[in-house]
Amino acid sequence: MSTATKNTTVIQTPICTSCNRTIPPGAEATRFDCPNCGEIIIWRCQKCRQFGRKYKCPKCGFMGP
Amino acid sequence: MSDKIDISKKESNPEKSLQEESDEEILDTDDEEELLLPRDTLLSAGIHIGTRMRTKDMDNFIYRVRPDGLFVLDVKKTDERIRIAAKFLSRFEPARIAVVAARLYARYPAKKFCEVTKATPIVGRFVPGLFSNPLYSNRLEPAVIIVSDPKADAQAVEEAGIMGIPVIALCSTDNEFTGVDFVIPTNNKGRRALAIIYWMFARQVLREREELAPDKDIDLSIDDFEAKISRVEM
Ligand SMILES: [Zn+2]
Ligand SMILES: [Zn+2]
Repeated sequence: MSTATKNTTVIQTPICTSCNRTIPPGAEATRFDCPNCGEIIIWRCQKCRQFGRKYKCPKCGFMGP
Repeated sequence: MSDKIDISKKESNPEKSLQEESDEEILDTDDEEELLLPRDTLLSAGIHIGTRMRTKDMDNFIYRVRPDGLFVLDVKKTDERIRIAAKFLSRFEPARIAVVAARLYARYPAKKFCEVTKATPIVGRFVPGLFSNPLYSNRLEPAVIIVSDPKADAQAVEEAGIMGIPVIALCSTDNEFTGVDFVIPTNNKGRRALAIIYWMFARQVLREREELAPDKDIDLSIDDFEAKISRVEM
């Protein structure tokens, strides 16, 4: 999900909002707009979902799940 | 039904334990921000009544333990979460919201919620593969799901995880957050509690969609959302 050219690097690899690890393409994960402000995309990796780890919206501070 | 009576007795009992007294101090506080329904309505329906089990996951939503061993939820947080969940849902296409309810008392209010909000009900037994089996001809592809109890609706939660579908869950004191993206803390077992929570939630979704004025109610009453005891299958 990331594209790199000679001069520009567009990083689109999603990063888990809870653990900050990159989520490889095709890996089990959920993405949704922050339930509260709707302005930030929240990503949650499979592990963080499994363990019910907290996530925090960097924009509005909403804490889930 | 039984916890309904139990609570009203408890709240008016003049011989309160210290713990109960400190509880009421906060429960009776006149918050500046109004609740979606009067506190009394919520408490008499037992919205806040959990179980005798508490999970670590639910810690932040648990208010206290009653002398009889029941863990009690913070209704202010229930209210807050309903508001946020409604905002969240208002950004989805109605038909792509699926509401799952395996347990008997949840089925009827879940269906009513869907009737009001135009969401898709999945009540009764959850057919394995309904979300995740590409070969299943009746497969559903919701954009978000609501489960009435992540334990009773575990199959739906699991398949949503596989498909990357966000999960909103009604969670009581005994639930864990595995596979859940958004928690609404509430009694998820009581007949009246489920009617109120789904009614309140439906009304709030319409308000967030601006299909209903902020001071208006939906056409159906809370009673209309309540599973009837004599009703065998809805
Ligand atoms: Zn993670
Ligand atoms: Zn936010």
